Amino acid sequence: MQLKRGLPPGAALRQQLMAASCALLSSAGARAQAPDSAPFLNGLLDNLSVDSAVAYYHEDGRIQAVEPIVNVAKTFANGDALDVNFTFDSLSGSSPNGALPSHSAQTFSSPSGKPGHGYTTAPGQLPVDPNYEDNRVALSASWTMPVTRVTDVTVGAKVSGEDDFVSFTLSASLAHDFNEKNTTVSGGVYNEFDSLKPIGGTPDPGSDYALADKTGNRTKDGVGILLGVTQVMTRTWLSEFNVSVDRFHGYLNDPYKFTSILDASGATTGYQYESRPDQRLRKSGYWENRVAWDALSTALSLRYMSDDWAVHSVTAQLRVRWNLPGEQSYIEPSVRWYRQTAADFYMPWIVESTQPDSPYESSDSRLDAFHAFTYGIKYAHRIGPLGPLASSEFNVRVEYYQQKYQNPNTNLPDLQGLDLYPELKAVLVQFGWRY
Amino acid sequence: MTENRYSLDGSIRIEERSEGLLAVCFDAMASPCELLLPVRHRSEAIELGTAVANEAWRVERKFSRYRKDSVVSVIHRSRGSRIVVDEETASLIDFAQHCFAISDGMFDITSGVLRAAWHFDRSDRLPPQADIDRLLPLVGFQKLQWHRPVLVLPPGMELDFGGCGKEYAVDRAYEQLAALHSEPFLVNFGGDLRANRAPPSGTWKIGIERPDTICEASMLLELEQGALATSGDSHRYVMRNGIRYGHILNPRTGWPVMGAARSITVAASSCVEAGLLSTMGLLKGGEAEHFLGEAGVQHWINR
Repeated sequence: MQLKRGLPPGAALRQQLMAASCALLSSAGARAQAPDSAPFLNGLLDNLSVDSAVAYYHEDGRIQAVEPIVNVAKTFANGDALDVNFTFDSLSGSSPNGALPSHSAQTFSSPSGKPGHGYTTAPGQLPVDPNYEDNRVALSASWTMPVTRVTDVTVGAKVSGEDDFVSFTLSASLAHDFNEKNTTVSGGVYNEFDSLKPIGGTPDPGSDYALADKTGNRTKDGVGILLGVTQVMTRTWLSEFNVSVDRFHGYLNDPYKFTSILDASGATTGYQYESRPDQRLRKSGYWENRVAWDALSTALSLRYMSDDWAVHSVTAQLRVRWNLPGEQSYIEPSVRWYRQTAADFYMPWIVESTQPDSPYESSDSRLDAFHAFTYGIKYAHRIGPLGPLASSEFNVRVEYYQQKYQNPNTNLPDLQGLDLYPELKAVLVQFGWRY
Repeated sequence: MTENRYSLDGSIRIEERSEGLLAVCFDAMASPCELLLPVRHRSEAIELGTAVANEAWRVERKFSRYRKDSVVSVIHRSRGSRIVVDEETASLIDFAQHCFAISDGMFDITSGVLRAAWHFDRSDRLPPQADIDRLLPLVGFQKLQWHRPVLVLPPGMELDFGGCGKEYAVDRAYEQLAALHSEPFLVNFGGDLRANRAPPSGTWKIGIERPDTICEASMLLELEQGALATSGDSHRYVMRNGIRYGHILNPRTGWPVMGAARSITVAASSCVEAGLLSTMGLLKGGEAEHFLGEAGVQHWINR
């Protein structure tokens, strides 16, 4: 603290106290002369925060997506809080259809059967539908009400629609603080209802691609529960742990994915639509620790997920936020590692002469065993307390994603020399503004 | 003393006092409050007293941490999200920020959470250090993000304007009244008070309660004009092994300030300033006399 030269410290301090007191009372006095103004809570009703971002996602040689997101949160005078989230995704590009590369050209019809939308994949290339295009709009809202000083109830709903898919979710949760708000325990349930309306109809699971055995719309639904504990461990360490279980039921296939059927030598003779079980039970656990030092804060999280399709996955993520001198900007590098095992019915192809072990099959690479790294960096800058953009934050985030599959080599002669499981690389760039 | 007593819907009473004074009495902020006027202003007493009481109740309603609809409660429910506060609240937070800086972090409106560990019930029970260690992370004004008018209060932290709220209410009520009335008056909220000018009798006689000496007469001060504030509560302490732990907590350690006076009364030009000086005097522990002497303010220290 700077003291005025020449004055005894006590007197200088007294002057500062007088100045602070005068500032308080004069600002209050100026308002007192205004006509009886609106209730004081009006000022708080402006309590709005906006978080918005535009992300551009680009997969090397495949899909690209543009995704604006807007989140608006508002706290009301009585403590209720409304949170509304709007997302729009526009995807376009090339999406793998599930078939294997082949030494000969492969021709596919479009899902809708529209003339001119069929496509041919060159020899040696991974078959992708080049006309892939989808727009997704999602709107979610949640309402949080304090029931007591330490208990909150939240109810929420989410609607998401694509050209060929509609999803509706309802959720409710309760959070309770204990132990001087150092411990928060929460529990929630949700219920999701989905309706699929694929272009050209829904293929029957396991049906032949060429016969195009498609019927109308299908549905799936899911229920889940989530239990969590957040604990303030020390003055700089916060720990969060939660577990969830959910169960989905219904038509769980991707209606656009099919699997190559090979003859004994490995040459493609046809395709059949994927056929997944009609139930999936998933359990997951998540543990995150956030620790703050002076200018650094770190968040380390681990997630484990396991389902009854034999997919087990582990995610570890480390984020380090470095507050730059002046506290107006920060840099946040992050790294994420992900590894999953394959579903027990995952098969990259079907050999026609062999008897399948399982009534189910899928060649969807998302059910294959793989591991992935994501490297990211974010830079954010907070505007000072003055001006039209006062106290808002601009940020930019760049992430690089790299995914590798882990499959054994095959000795089928016709598959030799083909890149059956091409590595996936993707870049995400996001610009954000928070107020 | 209360020969003539009127009541307005039970919440405001008028009493006649000695030396030709009239008192408009009401309760606010858990204290007896009054406006003193020369008795010749009886006709205006109700109007002026109602204005003072309304201001006291307004400030209490707005800043009490016990009321669910107070600004403070709304801030506490924000759980770490951004909250835009009104002008008056912003001015108080600015003021608290100044005081925090001036006092080297000893005057801290976030230190109220420490009350959860300490019970100054005159027993010999000291809280376990672990309890204090759990609360200390939630104390420290510097942990707030404050860019007027935007506040982010980290989850679990709390604001408590109790350390300056009553004095602030006195000054606000005083200023409202000063605009309406130029004759002598004195606003007294539970011992924190401010007068505009001397009454016809020459001085305002103020009894300052010295709670540890209940049987003795309270200290009597005479005031012409200006403000007086008293901090300290000698009923609230823990006594262990002959050591007295008073209720003035050091926000940096979570422990009582050792050697703090039982109460300190300071005279200054505004009640907020007097209150701040008396509180800082308590926080200085055994250095209170030196500190207040150097500050050059009239003060009364009760050890």
